[in-house]
Amino acid sequence: MAEETKTSPEGKPLLSGFLRSTQLMELDACTRCQECMKWCPAYDVYNDRPEITPMYKIAKFRELLGSQHGLRAKLFGSKPLNEDEIDQFMDDTYMCTTCGVCGTVCESGINTVELWEAIRPNLVVRGTGPWGKQNFFPKLLEANRNPYQGKQEDRLCFVPPDADVLESAKIAYFPGCTAAFRQQTLGVATVRILNALDIPFCMMGEDEWCCASVLVRTGQRDIMKAHAVHNVDALKDRGVETVLYACAGCVRTATIDWPRWYEGYIPYKNVPLSVYLREKIDNGEVEWKYSLDKKLTFHDPCHSGRHLLHYVGKDWAFEAPRDVYKAFPGVEYVEMPRSRELQRCCGAGGGVKAGQADLALGCAEARVRDGEEVGAEIMSSTCPFCRRNIMDGRNSSGSKMPFADQVEIMAVLMGLDVEIPHNPYLEYQEWDEVLGNRICIKPSDLEPVKAQDIEGD
Amino acid sequence: MAFYTLGLTFWIVIALTISVLAIWIYGLYFNFKKWGMGSTGYQDKLRNSFWLFIATWIHEAFKDGIWVFIKTAVLDVLLLRRTLRRSPVRWVMHMTMFYGFVTLAALSGLGLFMDIIEHFNLLGLTHQAEMVKGFMELPFDIFGYMLLVGSTIGVARRILLKQVRDNTSAYDVVLLGGVFLITITGFYAEWLRGNSFLVGDAFANSVYAPHFSLLHTILALALFVAILPWSKYMHIIAAPLTILANRGGE
Repeated sequence: MAEETKTSPEGKPLLSGFLRSTQLMELDACTRCQECMKWCPAYDVYNDRPEITPMYKIAKFRELLGSQHGLRAKLFGSKPLNEDEIDQFMDDTYMCTTCGVCGTVCESGINTVELWEAIRPNLVVRGTGPWGKQNFFPKLLEANRNPYQGKQEDRLCFVPPDADVLESAKIAYFPGCTAAFRQQTLGVATVRILNALDIPFCMMGEDEWCCASVLVRTGQRDIMKAHAVHNVDALKDRGVETVLYACAGCVRTATIDWPRWYEGYIPYKNVPLSVYLREKIDNGEVEWKYSLDKKLTFHDPCHSGRHLLHYVGKDWAFEAPRDVYKAFPGVEYVEMPRSRELQRCCGAGGGVKAGQADLALGCAEARVRDGEEVGAEIMSSTCPFCRRNIMDGRNSSGSKMPFADQVEIMAVLMGLDVEIPHNPYLEYQEWDEVLGNRICIKPSDLEPVKAQDIEGD
Repeated sequence: MAFYTLGLTFWIVIALTISVLAIWIYGLYFNFKKWGMGSTGYQDKLRNSFWLFIATWIHEAFKDGIWVFIKTAVLDVLLLRRTLRRSPVRWVMHMTMFYGFVTLAALSGLGLFMDIIEHFNLLGLTHQAEMVKGFMELPFDIFGYMLLVGSTIGVARRILLKQVRDNTSAYDVVLLGGVFLITITGFYAEWLRGNSFLVGDAFANSVYAPHFSLLHTILALALFVAILPWSKYMHIIAAPLTILANRGGE
């Protein structure tokens, strides 16, 4: 007897919206050159599953749409959708970090990240997606306005009591949820650096809601508008003209996604923190106290690098963080072979960290290997989510490669106190086992800087 | 020498060509309409409109200004810069296939037009039409060889490179194989007719020439024209439009 297949009940169309007509055209633009398969970090981990690669996902979605809207469907009616097939397609579609390297190498110029983020909501609307635990995100964000179930009134609990943070100012620091609740050293370091450089800045405190990046990546857009509008209005209300981000995910979402939901003029500029710090370093405003004396390599976050490339340019996307690292006393900067627009994704994005832990770890392990291959003694990045996942991959692979955020390293090299004040979230901090404690690098491990360590202009 | 065989007259060939072109044009319209199901912007509702697809494409393509459009058209559509960045071999393959195919299609159309003038002695230009067809021998050869080089590289990659071979589907085989076959039959038909610029009438054979000409024409019309809108060949239209709509891509 033939195996019964589940067919779709009425009222669950495959295409309910979210895809622009030019995106539907992209499905027919694929030349099947297989270039995306060579670069896909997910396929690197699961190389026995070609169906998770962009080429196959595009072909499958085109086939599924064709069964509903193609010539045969026009002549003889749509074929019933096989729910098992759709479930498999959903699984394949969500085995993707939305890193975008496929779009970078696509010969047909398909904007793949936008395409995946437009296909996923269709699966969510018909109840096929998202993947596993990812469906908790809207509930968490709606209840708590952050994914960590932290209290909004605790948003600034990591700020040291002696730090100077204004209620409103032309410059705002948007720490994001991970810095506020899980990697507070990053938040402390940023605040300390801005104070040390005499930069008056404000933070939004409990007015800061999650950037909601995770909702866009996983196709769960229902409350996206509320978060985007709230955050933009909160920044506008404080008279902000420049917003600094130490989280790549937040700066990407604020730059690309929020404007799509906000009706009205957005008067401020989004600036990755490394761009701002580079300017201060170049102006001679930064005083170094310690020398790192290590070979350091930089992991480009997808979100502040490749994704923002066409919005902010190559200099802001790739060169600014490098320039900051190269200014650190004692650093010997080494480049991993896959860098800048072709960098290898850490594996955390696209909802993968929550949904497919093994895939996230596999990607992270590969990235750690990249760093070890160039002889790096420390890896660093400008995204707390990259940091978290690469550390997890480092731990699971047994490597001893330390990982610290750029801002944390900079604060320590400036001799600033990055101790986190006591707060309810200390026990949840994602500290680096290799570095031993919550402070990224202990000053006692560093050499005081000598005059000749500081490179002149 | 009869141009075709099996009792096909000139009129029948013209009628078949027009029918196939009509299928092609309808196929393009069908695809544009299918794409027109989509929305006009982010989070917008589905529109199901052929004209709104055209409008959306124009809006996207010119979003960054006319200069970006022109630069993208020249560098990425005509010179395939994105392909060159990834693989010089694939660039050579695509350039030779693209320009070979497009030029041969244009020359074939011109040849058909000359045939019509010759057949009906339009404006008394029969002699001139014959002359034009004579001048077309060299470009037919040049662009035919270009297409042959490109399709040979395409087939060779799919056979010799393991990873490419492993991910080659029957779909890829039929379409790429079809291109190769059309090219080969085109050359052979030309040689049998004694029309080749390079080999002259060395292989001329008046008995079999009409058969190969017919075979070539059927393959070309069936695969390149009739099936194009309904197959992977559609990327010939969709890829340049996508590159322009995305202003050169990521």
